[in-house]
This record gives sequence, C-alpha cells and structure tokens, in this order.
Amino acid sequence: MPESSKTYEPSRVETDWPTLLYDTSRTGGQGIRGAKAPEHVRWHVRMGSSVRSAPVLRAGVLYVTSMAGSLHAIDVEKGRQNWQFQAAGHIHSTPSLSGQKVLFGCDSGKVYAVDCNSGKSLWETSAVAEVWTSPVIRDGVAFFGSADTRVYAVDVDTGRKQWTQELGGRVYSTASVGKLHVYVGCGDGKVYCLDVSSGKTVWSTATGNGIDSSPAVAGDAVLIGSEDFFFYTLDANTGSVRWKYETGLGISSSPAVYEDLAVVGSKDGFLYALEIQSGRLRWKVRVSDVVTAPPVMGSGVVCIQSGGTEAFDIGTGSLVWRAGLGGAVQSAPVLTADAIYVATNDGEVYALE
Amino acid sequence: MDRRTFVQASCLGSAILFLDGLDPKALGDVTLPEPPPIEIVHGLRSTKSRLGMPGLFPGRVVEVSDSNSIVRNRVSQAVVRVMVERGMKELTGEHSVAAAWAKFVEPSDIVGIKINPSGAPACCSSPEIVREIINGVQRAGVPAGNIVIYDRYEYEIDIGSYQALLPPGVRVVGIQDGLVDAGYDANVYCQATFFGEWENRSYMASIVAHSLTKIINLPTMKDHSASGVTGCLKNLGYGTFNNVARSHRSPYSFTDPLIGVMCSVEPLRSKAVLHIMDGLRQVWHGGPLTQVQDFIYQAGILYFGTDPVAIDTVELEAIEKKRHEQGAPSLWAHDADSITSNSQEFYNDPKRNLFYRRPGHIASAGKLGLGVADLKRIDHGRIPLG
Repeated sequence: MPESSKTYEPSRVETDWPTLLYDTSRTGGQGIRGAKAPEHVRWHVRMGSSVRSAPVLRAGVLYVTSMAGSLHAIDVEKGRQNWQFQAAGHIHSTPSLSGQKVLFGCDSGKVYAVDCNSGKSLWETSAVAEVWTSPVIRDGVAFFGSADTRVYAVDVDTGRKQWTQELGGRVYSTASVGKLHVYVGCGDGKVYCLDVSSGKTVWSTATGNGIDSSPAVAGDAVLIGSEDFFFYTLDANTGSVRWKYETGLGISSSPAVYEDLAVVGSKDGFLYALEIQSGRLRWKVRVSDVVTAPPVMGSGVVCIQSGGTEAFDIGTGSLVWRAGLGGAVQSAPVLTADAIYVATNDGEVYALE
Repeated sequence: MDRRTFVQASCLGSAILFLDGLDPKALGDVTLPEPPPIEIVHGLRSTKSRLGMPGLFPGRVVEVSDSNSIVRNRVSQAVVRVMVERGMKELTGEHSVAAAWAKFVEPSDIVGIKINPSGAPACCSSPEIVREIINGVQRAGVPAGNIVIYDRYEYEIDIGSYQALLPPGVRVVGIQDGLVDAGYDANVYCQATFFGEWENRSYMASIVAHSLTKIINLPTMKDHSASGVTGCLKNLGYGTFNNVARSHRSPYSFTDPLIGVMCSVEPLRSKAVLHIMDGLRQVWHGGPLTQVQDFIYQAGILYFGTDPVAIDTVELEAIEKKRHEQGAPSLWAHDADSITSNSQEFYNDPKRNLFYRRPGHIASAGKLGLGVADLKRIDHGRIPLG
C-alpha cells in the first residue's frame, strides 16, 4: 500500500518550518494563514556570503547556511545572530531540524548535526563528495544524497551509518521519505524508490535527462521534474509514468503540493499549476526570471523566488504581490502568520512583515 | 619588438602594451575613444607550450553539423557523440578517437573544461558536449578526478544544473561565489584604467595560474552587446580574469583589445590547447544573457580547432550573416540612434544596443599572435552529417 510521507514532529508549533518546503511532503506551509503582501522590512542581516539554500525555522530561531561555510542561528524577534557554526566547506544544503539538532551537508562531503541551543557540533559523518541535498529526517533516521552517487541513511542521534545505496549518477535531489520508501532523483536521469530500512532499490524509472529536482509525494503519486523539460507523475508503488507534462526548458525546481494541485517552476521562466490526478494544466504564469528555486504555498498564494520574491493566487495564477528581494537559484522563503523570511543570493536575510 | 614578443618579454616582470583601436570595417561616423595602455604583470615562471594558442593547427576550423543534434530545443546525446568524435578525428587527422584526444592531453594532466554558463538556461555550453569532452579526455587516459569543469560564477553553473548532470568523479568549480572575489592570484593581473574605475586590475584565476595543466575551451556562439561576439577568446579571457565588466560602460567598450591581451597572458595562453565551439544554439541578438528564444537559432553545429582567432572569425561571419538575414544592423555598425540604456528595449529589439560593439577584438588577438583572423587564410572544413 502506498504510504503518506507526511511527518509531523510533536514539538512543532504552527510557525515552525523544520525542513525544506516545510515537511517531507513538500506541502510548503499550505495551512499557514499568513503570507500577506509584505509592507516593510522588520530587519535584515548580512551573512557575508551568498546564500544558496533555504532557511528553516523553529521556536523563533531561523537557521541559515551560507557559501562561506557557516550555519547561522538568528533570533527572529531581534534580528540578531545567536550563534554561528563553521563547517569545512561551502554550504548549499538546506538545513533540517530534528529535536534539538540542526542537520546539514557541505561541499567537503561532511554532514553535521549541531545543537540548536549552543551551536556546538554533536556529530559529523562523511560522504565521499559534496552534499548539496538537505538531510530528510524520519523516525530517527536522516537520509541524504551526495555527488558521490550514493544515498546515505544515518542515525540522527549518533550519525552512525545505517546503510548506503549507490545509484547511477550524482545525487543533488533532496529525497522524499515515507514510512516504507525513499524517493529520490538522480543525475543519471532516473527516479529511484529505495527501501527505507535497507536502501535496496524497489524500482527505478528513467527520464530523458539528468534530474536536479527534488520529488514530492502526494498520496500514491511521486512528482518530480527532469532536465528533459518534462514534469513527471509516477505511481509510487511501481514507478510507472501516469502522466508527464512538457515545459519549455529543463526543470530543476522542486514541486510544491496543495490539495489536488502541484506547482512547479521551469527554467523557461514559467510557473505551472498542474492537477495531480490528470496532469491537466490549471494555469501557468510567467515570473520575473528563470525558475530554479522551489515554490512555496501560503494561504491562497504560491510564492517563488525568481529575480524577486513573488506571490501568485493559487486558484488563478494572477500576481498578488511582489518584493524585489531574493534572486533565483535554490532559496525558498519561509512563511509564518507574522512574517516572511527570505534569504538572497547576495547574502542577505530579510524578515518581511 | 612585435607585440607578441613584447607580451612574452613581460613574463617575469611588467610591461605596458599599447594597441590602437582596430575596427577595419567600422560603420557610422561615431568616433570611438582610443583604449588606454594595458599593463600585464605576472611573476610566474611558465614554460611556453607548442600546444598553446594558436596550437597545433593554426588557421584550421572543422565545422561539423547535424540537424538532428538539436530538435525542439533538446540536444541529442547520441548525435553529439558522433559529431564530437568525427570533429576530433578530422581536426587531428587521427583514425581513432583516443589518439585524437591524446594529441592534447596525457594521463597526468589536470584538465580544465572552461564552460560558458552565462545565458543559462537558454543558451549555455551544452552539458551533452561537456559529457563527450569528459569521455574523450578519459579515453586518453586522464582519470575523472583530474578533470575540472569550471567558470567564474558558481550560481550560473548551478542554473545550468551542470553539477547534477555530469559524470561522477569530475569536479565542478565556480571560481567565485558571487560575492567574494576569492580564487584569484594577486600576482598575475592586467591593469588599465578605462573609465576612471577605482579598481583597475583584473586578476588571473588561481585555478588557471596554478592548478590546471591543460584547458579545453567550450564557448557558446553568441552576439555580444559590447564585444560584438562572444566566442573562444572572450570565454577564455573574461572567464579567467576577474573584474572585467569595467571594460565597457555604455556606450563605449574596450573589450578590444582587452580580450586578446588577456588570452595572451601566460600560462593561460600555453594551457588552452583545444577549442570546441558550441553552435548547437546560436544567439544572433541579445547576447550574452538573453533568454528570448526568438533570437536563438537552433543551428546544430560544432566547431573544432586549436586556433581561437580562426574559430571566432568564422563565428563572427556566421552571426553577422544571420543578423543580415533577420534585418538586424551589422555588428560593426556604430549608429548613435541605436544606443539605449534600457536593457529591456535592447533584449527585445535587434536594432537597439547598449554599446558600440567592438568585434575588432578578434583581429587584435590575431595581431598578438593568437591565431589567424583573415577568412581567406582560414582552412574552414565543413562536415555535414545529417
């Protein structure tokens, strides 16, 4: 039976945003009531280096990684840094929160677990090559892929490796993890379904080019883009292609899911809203620039960083608001009832309200 | 002392290079400013290589075309593989692909593949060609760990998804992360004041100065708002040195002669042994950053050579011809009415431009000994495959 991949940690409160796109289903904060048009900047903080990942949020602290190899913990009330942790290389990995730990990978191949309160290292483990993916945490295990072509499963308390699985290409796709299966895209052009406890391949499905996009799981469907210009919906049990939708260029953006709708950006500069069941296009809209970042759902809007940060009506695709902050690449905003947190390619982090 | 000797003489010290503005076919009656003196400084002890520009085959360009190589804007890996193998064998005269690549690299080399991701995703060095170059280099015995795909800005490489798309083991390196000008050698630079800028030096990337032993250049084929076209020379020169945007300030450009001067600086000149121009997509207006598909022509052509000046001369002719077909002004035109400071106007109207273009940079590079700029003296072979 297909499983839902939603995981809600008991300690989380409404405004927490513990992992890339809110949860492992990439729902992107769809239930959050905020995401209104921002009116002013509450604070902004300079990281001193480009930010190429998305922030995450827990208990009033925003965690941001930077290309200078730093993990920053920022008090969102004061806009001040609580602490900073220095890693061994550049960081492209979006951090992930589990209990009192923040996990992330870096370009040296190391994956760190850092104490949320003190900023001290709790453990570290290593892949053979860079880790750009965000560690995804489920049932005490963190899953991440590496450019060394492997997917790793490590104990979230100790960092001890539980299994590794070699795939056919580099892994820059952040996994989606369900109760039984791990779904991930690969540079060899395939989407893989791995057994969550052993890492063994359950099925793999080829697309027409490499995959940089991260999958979302909605019910029994796996949703993912490929550099072959197509957006795919696969059967989560068998890997068979249910439908695919052609865009104008490659897709490295990861989809966000809202009820029966998947929203994904393409490098052709459009944002597409597709019905998960049928693949029917509900709307598409041109955004400011190339889209490589994942969209994020707010209440009634979908936000995307592309040139600036833009919000579109989820029902119609019409522009609701635009803030000239952000830039493209991989960052995605964090939405709360009070504020929107945006990290930029220029190394600034903004709290908008 | 000719200019080439003059540049060589500066290898262990500093010298001042004077070039006059060279626009043999300049159109219009705008008077363009003379370029300032350019000082080249470097303290590296580098040995000149016979493989260095213009390399083993001066004046030779092999053009391989196949209309099936790009269909509905998708590049065919299988067709590109055949094109690259044929082009390499034709250029070198070798019967085997491995022998063709072995003309340029050996197993102990650290091989850099200089891509051009600016303009990604609409028009950038195709990952499919990068894969075939990696394959060829490996067939010559170079291990994957000795192969580096690089360019200046990592975020542009990221937009092209090269990191995810290339084979395991090769390194993908952005020289700078977009904020910090790290990764450059403070002892190797070109210095000139073009517009009164406070930082008048451009430093050579450390990876080029020190790490790589060979460079394979993979430029795209585009018009360029300041330099006329961007091809082998500009991809190499402006992709190796930092702080290069200062050479053009609307409406004037000193890309001529700076592009050629930078390419002449050792060890860049000796390390750049092979050029494969990606003409699968060709931008005839809006380069180098355009995303407007209307001005991108899916030509399905690759050019092979060791002489960057010869390839760029062929490119210049092709882009000029395409512009003429489309009713766009010549790249040599210097019409004051065409100049705009509105980038959107420029991107959407082929009759407008941000600068007076300077395609004469190719001829200037020829005068520096980097290759042959005279079309009549270029051995341009054409191989249509399909």
